[in-house]
Amino acid sequence: MNSIFWLIPICSLLALGFAFYFFKNMMKNSEGTPRMIEIAQYVREGAMAYLKRQYSVVTLVFAVLFVLFVILAFMGVQNPFVPIAFLTGGFFSGLSGFLGMKTATFASARTAHGASQSLNKGLQVAFRSGAVMGLVVVGFGLLDIAIWYWVLNYIYDSNIFGLGLKIAQGLGLSGAEVGWSDAFVGNAEWLHAKMVHITTTMLTFGMGASTQALFARVGGGIYTKAADVGADLVGKVEAGIPEDDPRNPATIADNVGDNVGDVAGMGADLYESYCGSILATAALGAAISLNHGVFDEKAILAPMIVAAIGIVFSIVGIFMVRTKETATAKSLLNSLLIGTAGSSVLILIAIAVMAYFGWFGWGIFGSVVAGLIAGIVIGQGTEYYTSDGYKPTRGIAHQALQGPATTIIEGMAVGMYSTWIPVVTIVMGIIAAYGFAGGFTDFSLGVYGIGFAAVGMLSTLGITLATDAFGPIADNAGGNAEMAELPKEVRERTDALDMLGNTTAATGKGFAIGSAALTAMALLVAYMEEVRLWLGKVPELGAKFLEVTGATSLSTATIDDFINFYHLNLFNPLLIAGLFLGSMMAFVFCAMTMKAVGRAAGAMVDEVRRQFREIPGILEGTSIPEYAKCVEISTKGAQREMLVPSILAIAVPVVVGLIFGVSGVVGLLMGALVTGFALAVMLNNSGGAWDNAKKYIEKGNYGGKGSDAHKAGVVGDTVGDPFKDTSGPSLNILIKLMTMVSVVMSGVTVAFSLL
Amino acid sequence: MKRYLYLSLSPEALISSMLPPEDFGIYVATGTKKRTRGQALFFEVNQEVVKDQLPLEYIERRCVPQEGGRPKSSVYLSIYRVLESIPLKALQKLYLVTDDGRVLGLSQGNYVPSEKKELHLYQELCPVTPRIASTLAPLEFVQSITGGKEKVSVPRLAFVELQMDDLATDPEHGKAANLPYQNIPHLRDCLLILKNEEGKDKKTIIRFFNRDLFYRTIKNGFFVGDKDELLYYPFPSISELEEKHYPWWRSANTMGFH
Repeated sequence: MNSIFWLIPICSLLALGFAFYFFKNMMKNSEGTPRMIEIAQYVREGAMAYLKRQYSVVTLVFAVLFVLFVILAFMGVQNPFVPIAFLTGGFFSGLSGFLGMKTATFASARTAHGASQSLNKGLQVAFRSGAVMGLVVVGFGLLDIAIWYWVLNYIYDSNIFGLGLKIAQGLGLSGAEVGWSDAFVGNAEWLHAKMVHITTTMLTFGMGASTQALFARVGGGIYTKAADVGADLVGKVEAGIPEDDPRNPATIADNVGDNVGDVAGMGADLYESYCGSILATAALGAAISLNHGVFDEKAILAPMIVAAIGIVFSIVGIFMVRTKETATAKSLLNSLLIGTAGSSVLILIAIAVMAYFGWFGWGIFGSVVAGLIAGIVIGQGTEYYTSDGYKPTRGIAHQALQGPATTIIEGMAVGMYSTWIPVVTIVMGIIAAYGFAGGFTDFSLGVYGIGFAAVGMLSTLGITLATDAFGPIADNAGGNAEMAELPKEVRERTDALDMLGNTTAATGKGFAIGSAALTAMALLVAYMEEVRLWLGKVPELGAKFLEVTGATSLSTATIDDFINFYHLNLFNPLLIAGLFLGSMMAFVFCAMTMKAVGRAAGAMVDEVRRQFREIPGILEGTSIPEYAKCVEISTKGAQREMLVPSILAIAVPVVVGLIFGVSGVVGLLMGALVTGFALAVMLNNSGGAWDNAKKYIEKGNYGGKGSDAHKAGVVGDTVGDPFKDTSGPSLNILIKLMTMVSVVMSGVTVAFSLL
Repeated sequence: MKRYLYLSLSPEALISSMLPPEDFGIYVATGTKKRTRGQALFFEVNQEVVKDQLPLEYIERRCVPQEGGRPKSSVYLSIYRVLESIPLKALQKLYLVTDDGRVLGLSQGNYVPSEKKELHLYQELCPVTPRIASTLAPLEFVQSITGGKEKVSVPRLAFVELQMDDLATDPEHGKAANLPYQNIPHLRDCLLILKNEEGKDKKTIIRFFNRDLFYRTIKNGFFVGDKDELLYYPFPSISELEEKHYPWWRSANTMGFH
């Protein structure tokens, strides 16, 4: 193994070390007054109660899937490492979510207390606490990859379980029929085949991360909006109680929801993209690692090395985020931009250096640039369509003058319109990444470039996720300041931090969906590598493949051979059936998550009404509401409601594979990717634009607070809540999870498909 | 248990209660079972000044602790022509209650008329409730309405002046972006009539006020008076509200659906 490999675990441990350092530093700060401590404790307990319940449900699902994978492995249609790899992927993703939530809930009161000293102090506490989430995600993600890479290499190189010999026999290497020889380890063909096996095996651990992310995103999305909508409907709309008022029984659940949705949910989502992009690119790298009889491990290690260097520069970027004690809101944003842009520039320089030393061609450098530019353009496009500084959102506010109906129509139109920037950008990004990497002459190099574009985009996830997780921490700090009735200047500072968090969250969502699309694209191509592997394990199918396509061997078969064998063209009804089903899945999944929010919010509304009615003194402020009861209701609702859409997302690719085969699965994934991507952008941007249109009116436009336009704006914002915080973000996961399930179940599809 | 006397402006009523002003405000806003909500405006009345007018025996009999020793929330003493019958000197603090029962007490202050020539918008609160645009400043306005010289008049009036931003000086082109009133074009039309028609000093904007008062639209404060005397209850500035009465101000700015 190339000695530079050790850079990967070292950098991942470095990330975890700095995460611990930032956590300890944050904990040294005071939580403020007894009231602030009390409120933070409520939120902390609620968040942990939610996680405990979520993990118990997820554990059950993981146990069922583990048993299923073991059975499939015994049947010979599943890689025997998958059950364990699946568990580790899920475990590290869950651990990241747990640590991120723990940190965020410890940080909110400390941020509010920091803001009582200065805006800069508040920023430092919130941002470095967000950085804990960013660093544990990249740290554990890359550590898991590094451990599996080392372990699997060791297993194959030492011929444990006879796996090394099996490869040699499959290749027909001389002497392999007699037994294992250490000489195989130096054979280029054997090394190449080993790496294909290892990288495709590692790819499956992404399914654990995907499954965990699904529950975190869907469950978190349902929880956060059930609490938010429930709290607003009874508190603000029905009883006239302001937001973040401690007299509202659902207000703690609402604050817990910010963490559940935006810290744990976003973290798990990007953990999955991060690992998925590295693993898919490594698998694509393995396919091109044998060149004219010479094996080169660099193509496989390169995405991991870039991710490792990205960790170092993320940490550098985190330290670059600082402002003067007299900072304004604008200088706060600038300091965040300096941190994120600084680390992006540094990673580009590092990739250029790697290209210079021959780790990959300059074309890959171009692919990474394309990915990074795509990420920035999508983020800016999101900003344009959702910020009240621009025409689209102001147009919604203007339509609010006519009433709620036109507000909804305009918001939907803005969301639909807004898809053009991300779609065109992703199209250009994919083609540029493909073209720069040499895809127009060699397909494998092109798709490797697309994978690398995703890796480049996510290489500085440590800091970009820090800016995302910063948002809910600042939001909760604002809630804490309101509930603890801190002085005006503190509330103004936490508001400034909250506004900054809203800006970074909007661009973060664009970043998440952009990276999800590129990752899913890379995974889709990696799926064909899995199919190649399983064709080799089903002898009669492998022989048929060679006979039909005329390829000399499976390992040298081209993508055209697979296209011909499986009729992967638009005139194949199986593929078209898959396309339709994939497209439908995006809509059905959204509908399910939205209805789930409605039902869970309804239960919350009933509970809040009950408390007002039955507990004397809540409105008078003389008795404390039963916050825990509302947290429990939202938690139970989220766990109950997330099961059906989650199971659907896992089951459909398997069922489609069993009925329609590989071409049906490819159609399904393509349909889900293109529809899901556009739909997610539409939902995210409609929701964001409605939210900001309402805020624009509240700033004193079109009649301001209390006007009829404001009421219409509130309706739009309420409709948009599950759009932007539940269904839209959940689609990221759907796109990736269905691809991952297809990858993991490719053996079953290849061996048992009916058509 | 101490008894209090309140003059409610919405609806007009004289009420005896065992609840102190803050608790009475929560009670009238949200009800005993907390199934309702609604804004309220009421004065605390000095009982000593009006004791000769009060049905003391009735109050003694009805305004007594409830089961379990809970203070009696309200005993209505009168619901008709109350404002005109209570001497102004009996009026103490004015309490503004938000939908969810947050209470802000306003004390009387000195009214210093503005020398700026501009149009005014008045929301009459009691005993009648139209919204009136006028060229008259508050003092002249109350004298005009209660003086008895006009065909239409009332003996006494409680009202509040509302913000009009740029419309106060330029009804045709002035900005009205932050005014939450319904039908701004109609308001502009009425103001233009006042501005252009010689001798016309009042114009009805809304005949019957059936919605809550947006506290954030209060221009300077509340007035109650007649042709002889005018009491003024200044409304705090926004910065004072944010610093000293933040929970009330936040609640006052929360908008629900009715």
